[in-house]
Amino acid sequence: MRVGLVSPYDFASPGGVSDHVRHLARQLRRLDHDVRVFAPSSRADVDFDSAEFYRIGSPIAVPVNESVARITLSFHLADRVAAIIERERFDVLHFHEPLMPALPITMLRMSQAANVGTFHAFAKSNIGYLYGRPLLEPYLAHLHRGIAVSEPAKAFVNRYFPDFPLRVIPNGIDVGVFHPGHPPIRHLRDDRVNILFVGRLEKRKGLGYLLRAYELMKPRVPNSRLIVVGDGPLRSSVESFVSRHRLPDVVMAGYVPDSVLPRYYCSADIFCAPATGAESFGIVLLEAMATGLPVVATEIDGYMSVLEPGRDSLTVQPKAWAELGGALVILARDSELRRRIGTYGLEKARRYAWEEVASQVLEVYGEARQLRARQEAVGSREVLNVHDAV
Amino acid sequence: MSEWRWRAFKVVQSLVERLPRPWAYALAVIAARFAWWFSPLARPRLEYNLKVACPELTPAELRRLSQLNFRNHAKAYADLMMLPRLKVETMGPLLHVDGLEYLEQARAIGKGVMVVSCHMGSYEVASAIWSATLTPVSFFAEELEPRALFEWYRDTRARLGISVLPLHLGGLRKVTQALQEQEMVITAIDRDITGTGYMMPFFGRPAPIPLGPAAIALRLGTPLLPVCVYRQPDDSYRAEGTPPVMAQSTGDAKADEVRVTQELVRQIEGFIRRHPEQWHVPHRIWEGSP
Repeated sequence: MRVGLVSPYDFASPGGVSDHVRHLARQLRRLDHDVRVFAPSSRADVDFDSAEFYRIGSPIAVPVNESVARITLSFHLADRVAAIIERERFDVLHFHEPLMPALPITMLRMSQAANVGTFHAFAKSNIGYLYGRPLLEPYLAHLHRGIAVSEPAKAFVNRYFPDFPLRVIPNGIDVGVFHPGHPPIRHLRDDRVNILFVGRLEKRKGLGYLLRAYELMKPRVPNSRLIVVGDGPLRSSVESFVSRHRLPDVVMAGYVPDSVLPRYYCSADIFCAPATGAESFGIVLLEAMATGLPVVATEIDGYMSVLEPGRDSLTVQPKAWAELGGALVILARDSELRRRIGTYGLEKARRYAWEEVASQVLEVYGEARQLRARQEAVGSREVLNVHDAV
Repeated sequence: MSEWRWRAFKVVQSLVERLPRPWAYALAVIAARFAWWFSPLARPRLEYNLKVACPELTPAELRRLSQLNFRNHAKAYADLMMLPRLKVETMGPLLHVDGLEYLEQARAIGKGVMVVSCHMGSYEVASAIWSATLTPVSFFAEELEPRALFEWYRDTRARLGISVLPLHLGGLRKVTQALQEQEMVITAIDRDITGTGYMMPFFGRPAPIPLGPAAIALRLGTPLLPVCVYRQPDDSYRAEGTPPVMAQSTGDAKADEVRVTQELVRQIEGFIRRHPEQWHVPHRIWEGSP
């Protein structure tokens, strides 16, 4: 099958959707499909070997959903894209965030293939979807099949486009990369209980609440340590909070390259994800589980669609830092509980391996192609009728 | 006092890490010139060391060499300050390695690799790139004062996967562990930091040299790999490896350690003689140094 994957986000900077596309491409390639990737990129030299990469447009940063999306807004994409589509003759075009300007929506308009769209995002409301509905609905009609990465993401899309059918296929994780047994960062692996946070340092990730919770738990569990992996706009305010409150044993690791990240997971004892909302899935939770870490997370829709509280995690109300501190104390004091929860998570994470996810995506591709074939058959009959009429 | 030094370092560091690389280097060159003019001890000590390493130098050449050395040292400091924002994808292509086959050969033995080096070039950058792309790396390192500076060093290196193990017993146990798990341990033997070095000829004159790496290699059968890293005129980096030294035990532990270390010192001397302008040791090594 000839498959084109289309992503609206900067392929050179790290992000959930770009990673998803990268992994899906690799997995489909492994199953002997012909894969092409379309995305904007801020750098010309994207090191991506498992599929041919079309760099279309250069990205600019647009604030959206309490974060920053790096998308392209170039209006000159159409000619290039049309030529490529003409030449490649795709069987399936798979759009990620199909209603995001400008790349996916432009390609969706021109595509002659079976179109599949995956919706990743989730938010409380989306002004673009609300007011753009009359404009976007015709585009949506071009999609033969839709996928949502989680129940909340599905509900979010269906709020604005109620009768659009979506199938939930979760994000995958690379269990070949995230597994226990990587060499730890050795000086972090002492007699302390390490609590790990992974994520961009921005408000919605809720690191501020974790810092308060840590301040609360530190006197009760003196042999604990907080490791913060990630960089972002709030870095300096996090650092000043740590020094103002004299929080001991906080390690600010900064942005950690992908090749080193699994080693950080393997250096930790507890994983904490205190996001306050606007997360549609929580891939970091699965990465932590795949490494065998117990998870402490907030009860937001995106996380709850993955977690089973009490079995693979302890969950608390978002922004409730006292509660969060309590949960951390319980886990930090009880190594047996950590082990039991971690083992369950490890078992569960296997279900989210890319092999599983890709086979489900391929099923959807098949349905979309059937649907398109049926439409085409109907279409050609109509033309015949016109001829008859003439 | 040391508290203020740490604060000054942090201010300069947070400035430098935000600069583009050529700007940071330009700043480093200026700073190096001032340090060269005004340093009370560093310059005489460095020139003394260089004179011992390369006795054939005339005073004018020595002067020029120490200027160059200060400049390269300042650039290495700039590299260190930029480490928190270093992107492996962009820096990786700047590192050229000669003798990678020796590393492969040493790793193939399956007992880890002990890389023995000297304080030369931007070894921080090179080991960071190796750690993120090749194999987990551990550093033997002194515990600096003030504590905050040491912690900054440690966390900055750890971001790229380098474990920093202090030179006491707990650290030693972790080094053993790391080697048993096939990792790479990097250490320098041209300076005796703990003050427990064994007196042996270094450039023909007795100097204290640590026997630790040789002792560990003898105990575990780990190959020792002499490596040096230096800066090229276009500010890219080159690492040079030589064939691994296998530590053979003959029964007399002390004599073995000394013999193996002498062999390593011979290689290190070769590196320093080839690139004296990059050997950043403005410290006391020999008796009689200022």
